[in-house]
Amino acid sequence: MMWLLYSARMKILLAALLLLLVGVASAKPWWMRGAASNETDFLPPDVAFRVAASVDDNIIRVRWVIADGYYLYRHRMNITAESPDLVTFAPAMPPGVVKIDPYFGSQEIYRQQVEAAVRFTRIDGGAHPLQIKVIYQGCADAGLCYPPITKVIYPQETRAVATAAASHPFEGFAILAGGLAFLFAGLLLRKGRKLELPAA
Amino acid sequence: MNRRIAGIALLALGMAAGAWFQFTRVTPGGHPGIRVAAGEASPPDSNDFAGELPPGVIPPPKIPDRLPQFSLGDRSGKTTPIASFAGKSLIINFWATWCAPCRSEIPLLETLQAEWAGRGASVVGIAVDHRDEVLEFADRFKIGYPLLIGEQDALDAAASFGVASPVFPFTVFTDRRGEVVALFIGELHKPQAELILSQVQQLNDGQIELPAARRAITAGLSALRSST
Repeated sequence: MMWLLYSARMKILLAALLLLLVGVASAKPWWMRGAASNETDFLPPDVAFRVAASVDDNIIRVRWVIADGYYLYRHRMNITAESPDLVTFAPAMPPGVVKIDPYFGSQEIYRQQVEAAVRFTRIDGGAHPLQIKVIYQGCADAGLCYPPITKVIYPQETRAVATAAASHPFEGFAILAGGLAFLFAGLLLRKGRKLELPAA
Repeated sequence: MNRRIAGIALLALGMAAGAWFQFTRVTPGGHPGIRVAAGEASPPDSNDFAGELPPGVIPPPKIPDRLPQFSLGDRSGKTTPIASFAGKSLIINFWATWCAPCRSEIPLLETLQAEWAGRGASVVGIAVDHRDEVLEFADRFKIGYPLLIGEQDALDAAASFGVASPVFPFTVFTDRRGEVVALFIGELHKPQAELILSQVQQLNDGQIELPAARRAITAGLSALRSST
């Protein structure tokens, strides 16, 4: 009898889960939800074009991952310095794929992914967090374009662990001295304490 | 007593060493002693690849039931309220000169203007772009339908239709009473345009109500989409 009850409960649970899954599956982008809007499945720009940057020595590498059916225009991409102490050189972009447009003519575009390399120097050795500004613009094959996107991003140190662990020259000495100081302080204070004994 | 003093002194020395270590620690990418306060300069988008995709990038739209009120400059620079087109069914096309699908739509919009003008409909192009570039572009492509031009004010107009994070092109269809019948995102093609306009026509003629027209448009567009 219990297994029947269990089974019935499980069925309800499964049905609820199924409904939830259907609900999640039908959670469409906003332009698909409007009663009077067309059912398109265009991605939001930050999903269609994802960007991240890393830094390695004196090169910042900016990488875009582009969703299927979307592309970025090579001539509309740029990377500039945002930190006040940062000087960047012209980004090195790989050659793109030629797209023939009836109005724009021949243009180079990127699909899937692209990585740009930017050499840089820092005027005062890095007083500010490393920040760059990336600009890019792209479209969907299905007939939609996004306005130019500008983002300020913090390139991730590829040697982040090593950098974070980069210590002050006297850091080890400070730790050791502090530790020893605490040890001796404890010993001295302990010896100085008198135990109060109850009077016999 | 002396031992106690020495002990306390050593304790203070240890604390001082700890404090010195704490405050002179080298922060990555910063000078010793300089720390970025929380919330002051938190990395905005340091890594789009990490974690989940941002599902809430674009807030849900509030497509208005009625044509919102806004004014933009026309080709001559004269501020023109959208209400000046009142009484007509409108095909309001948001576009930009740098947008290839927007350019592709222009011949269709010209055709719609020619075919539907006699039935009380008008195309209104809203260019979200620099005025000089729009004027040069409109001359070159001989755009005959009315144009309104703007930058931030045109973006605000786009936002008033619920398109807060702009994508181009998109086209809004209204009936002659100013009710928003449909909002089409992406490049418009003739079958879609005719489907929507036929519903607008029936609305104008009082043959159907707005909810029925919207349902018919949604179903028709879905059928067209699956047939391609």
